[in-house]
This record gives sequence, C-alpha cells and structure tokens, in this order.
Amino acid sequence: MTSWYQRKRTRELALVACFLAPALSIFFLYRLLPLGWNVLLSFQSWSPLKAATWIGVDHYEEMLLDDDVFWDALTNTLIFIGCSPIAIALALAIALLVNSDLRGAAIYRTIVFLSYPLMTVAVGIIWRWLYDERGGFFNYVMRSSGVIDQPVKFLQSFDWALPCVIAADFWQVLGFYMIILLTGLQSIPQHLYEAARVDGVPAGARFWRITLPLLRPSIFLCIVVGILNSFTSFDLVYVMTNGGPGHATELLITYIYKAGFGQSRFDYAAALTVVQFLLLVVLTMLANKLSGGNAGSLER
Amino acid sequence: MRRAPSWPRHAIMVVVSCLMLVPFYWVLKTSLTGENIYAYPPHIVPVDPHLFHYVDVWYLIPFPRYLLNSVIVTTMAICGNLLFNTVAGYALTKQFPGRRWVVLLFLSCMLIPFQATIIPAYLITSWLGVLNTYLGVALPLLSTIICIFIFKASFEAVPKSLIDAARVDGLSEWRIVVRIMLPLSKAAIATNVVLTFIWSWNAFLWPLIVIRTSEMQTLPLGLARFLSVMEDTTGALFAFVVMVLVPGLTIFLMAQKEFIRGLTSGATKG
Repeated sequence: MTSWYQRKRTRELALVACFLAPALSIFFLYRLLPLGWNVLLSFQSWSPLKAATWIGVDHYEEMLLDDDVFWDALTNTLIFIGCSPIAIALALAIALLVNSDLRGAAIYRTIVFLSYPLMTVAVGIIWRWLYDERGGFFNYVMRSSGVIDQPVKFLQSFDWALPCVIAADFWQVLGFYMIILLTGLQSIPQHLYEAARVDGVPAGARFWRITLPLLRPSIFLCIVVGILNSFTSFDLVYVMTNGGPGHATELLITYIYKAGFGQSRFDYAAALTVVQFLLLVVLTMLANKLSGGNAGSLER
Repeated sequence: MRRAPSWPRHAIMVVVSCLMLVPFYWVLKTSLTGENIYAYPPHIVPVDPHLFHYVDVWYLIPFPRYLLNSVIVTTMAICGNLLFNTVAGYALTKQFPGRRWVVLLFLSCMLIPFQATIIPAYLITSWLGVLNTYLGVALPLLSTIICIFIFKASFEAVPKSLIDAARVDGLSEWRIVVRIMLPLSKAAIATNVVLTFIWSWNAFLWPLIVIRTSEMQTLPLGLARFLSVMEDTTGALFAFVVMVLVPGLTIFLMAQKEFIRGLTSGATKG
C-alpha cells in the first residue's frame, strides 16, 4: 500500500515538473538569465568578435563623467516619469465622472480606453501627422484661431518635441489609468459614503477623507505603470522623433537601443540597462513608501 | 434627497470623448481624402473621398507578406500561451515541495520588465540560432505570468468532487486538464487569447532587434519602414495605419471585458 502510494506520489511530482518546465524555462531564458548576464556584461569589455575581459566600473565611469547623451537621456526619462502624475490626475477626474450612475458611462469608458490597445507605432505615426506643420490638426487649429501666425514645426523644435511626445503618450495611456482607478473606486464600500453623508460631510471632504486615502493602492499602481511607461515608450519615440532633434527626446531605452544595436557596444548598453533598472527599482520603492507601505507587497 | 443634475457631467464627458477621438478622425479623414493631403487649410471633411490610398498600399509595400508574418507570430504566441499557461496553472493548483519558491520565482519575474533585458536576450536568441525566424520573435511571448495565475485561480474554482470523480473514472491528469478544466475556464481562455493577441500584434522593439530581412518583417516593422522610406509624403501611409489598426480594434471591441479583466487582475494581483 505504501509503495503504491509512493509510486503515485512520484508520478505526480514528475507530472508537475513536466507541466512547469516550459513556462519556467521561458522565464529563466528571457527574464532571470538576461538580468544576471546583463549585470556581468556591464563590468566587462566585450564585443561579438572579442573575448570578454574584466574592466571593473570603466563603463559606469565613462557614462557618468564623459557621456552627455546619457545625462540627456536620464533627464528626459525623469521628465517623462515626472509628468505622469498629471495624466493620473486627469484619469482620476474622468474615473470619478464615469463611475457614478451616469447613463451611458460604459460608452464614455470605452471611448477613453480605445487608444490603449492600439499599436504604439501607429499611434506615433498618427501623432506625427497631428503635429505636422502643413496638414496637421494642431497647427490648423492654432493658426485659424489666431494663437500663432506662422506654422510651428513641433517635433523639430528643441523646446516642443519632448512635451509633444509626452502628450501623445498621455493620449494612449490615459484610459489604462482610468481603468485601474475605476477598479479601485468600485472596491470602496458604499456605506462609508452614506455614513459620511448622514453626518453632513461636504462632498469635497468626502473626496479627500474617504476616496483618496482608500484609492492609494490604485494610485500606486498607476505610478508604477507610469514608470514602466518610460521604457515602453520606445516605440513612440522611435517613430515620432527617433530621439531628435539632437537628443531632445532621447530616453534611456532609446539610447540603450542605439548604443547596443546601432553602435554594437553591447557592453556599454548593458551598463546603461543596469542604471535604467536601478532607476525603476528605486522609484518604485519610493512610490510604495509614499503611498503608505505595503501596496505592492508580494503577499497573495 | 436632491441629486445634482447629470447634464454638466455629460457635457464634460462629451468634450473629453471628442478630444480622445480627434486623432482617430484625423487619420481616417487623411486616408480617405482625394486632394493633396498638404493643402492648407486642411478640410475637416474629406474632399472628393475615395479609396485610392488603400489600393496604393498594396502596390507600394508587400502588405500581404507583413500581414502573414504578423499572423504567424501572433498565432504561435497564442498557441504557446494556451498550452504552457494552462499546464503551469494546473501544476500550481497541486501541492508539491518547493511550490512556494516556484510562485515566488514567477512573481519576481513579473517585476522584471522585458525592456530591461534586451541586450542579453538578443545574445541568447542568437546563441539559440533563431535570429530572424518566427520562433525567435515569438519565443519570449510564448508564456505570460499573469495568465498562469488567472488559469490557476480559474482551476481552483472547479469543484474538487468533479475532479475526484474523473480520477475514479480513470482519466489521466492531461485528460482532466483538457476535458474538465478547460471547458470550465472559458473566461480565462478568452482573457489569455485577447491579451496575447494585442501584445504580440503590437510588439515592436523585440521584432526590431531579432528580424534582419525585410521579408520577415511584421506589420509594426513594416509601418516603421514605410515611414522611413516615404516619410509622410503620401496618404497611403495613413491608409496603411488604418488597415493595421482595424484588426486590433475589432478584437478589442469584441472582447473588451476580457481584456480589461486581464489587465486589472494582472495589475491588482501583481
């Protein structure tokens, strides 16, 4: 009896191992291994035709001391992330409007969310065209309303290019923020509002005292999405400006791509990636702390 | 109790909706217009509308080829996801030594954005010898951690008595997954299919790195290439954009609920 049970147990374990193997190997090959390799590579001098040699922190030294483009890319990435609270606030306003018993709220929700699942390359091309100085929507509206009298080349301007790319990104990601916030709003127990209303708490105070504190986990998630967005916006920048004019819209991710696959400096690109990943970790931890502790904890 | 009138909220939402729809309208208008797209002032309604630009796309670029490549890669990703995620999700419903570690491993992998691993991921793909192949593009997309957990939750909701009955009837574990678990997890399947479709259909950075030749390019790469060759000189570019967006939008509108469910469960459970 025992041996029968043991055999059955062994077979079950073998089955579990077989079932987990494909997924585990994919994530080992494309998540864990690259992360470790990337760190090693950043301390080495290596190119596809050359054996690797240890050079310590030379890449980091070059990056921090001699590389102006790195600082441009870092600044732009931080601006990109720093602007996301504006979009989150807008999304919160929209979420509050469509959360209540408004008739047709589902239609508004769909329209606001419609741009999120679009192909980002196509979004870039659409917005390039909206900013165009001849057939573009913005120049047309601004010229015919008399705000400007000469067409503005938005994406070729050092001052305007980055805000323009960020606006395009807002348009795409706004709906996702809204959905996250709506999920958060729906999890707030209604009786809290009723109790507050009975006690005569004005609407403004209800928002600051009930809605906002209880939305903290959702807002934290939005901030994380905003941070990650500065990575995924590669597609948008690549199509709209390719980092130009100069390096006015260069992000860390576009610079990593250029260093790695444009100049074949894989080792240097790996060092840049380490900086980007650390930035992600530090900012996420900071956001977690600000949103009041364990919003992103791993408990399940 | 007196309620605030709802029309101001409707008014705001109508304005917001219009603003959100302007980019769609502007590109659709440009793709249909018959006059020079650079004429100033641009017309709000397309002048002399026709489908010339849409026909032009077929002559300017190998559209069917791009479409085929995109469909192959997306199909591979969806099949891989359904197979690997269901079996992994089923394995996680069982008790086994080290289960905690496997869950922890999945969760920590979820925190590593793919964009932060592209350099070694490229080297690994080249070492596997699958650069510039469909498999190379699809490989990192073949499984999704969020969906593994969605399947796990769905399988755990299946009554234990049903599984025991099946086991008494002599069904193998594999058959239990296919015959009992999957038919009872249609929502999870739909979520996984929609998420994978949208992600692999739109993927750009990874195919850009892996694909070397023009006949292997997927639709997003084709779009970027078209842009770099022709600049914004022709309305065909915008017709191409519309043709690329239609499949994604259709799938999204058909399965909006599943898509949002997948995104938010990933966001709240992550």
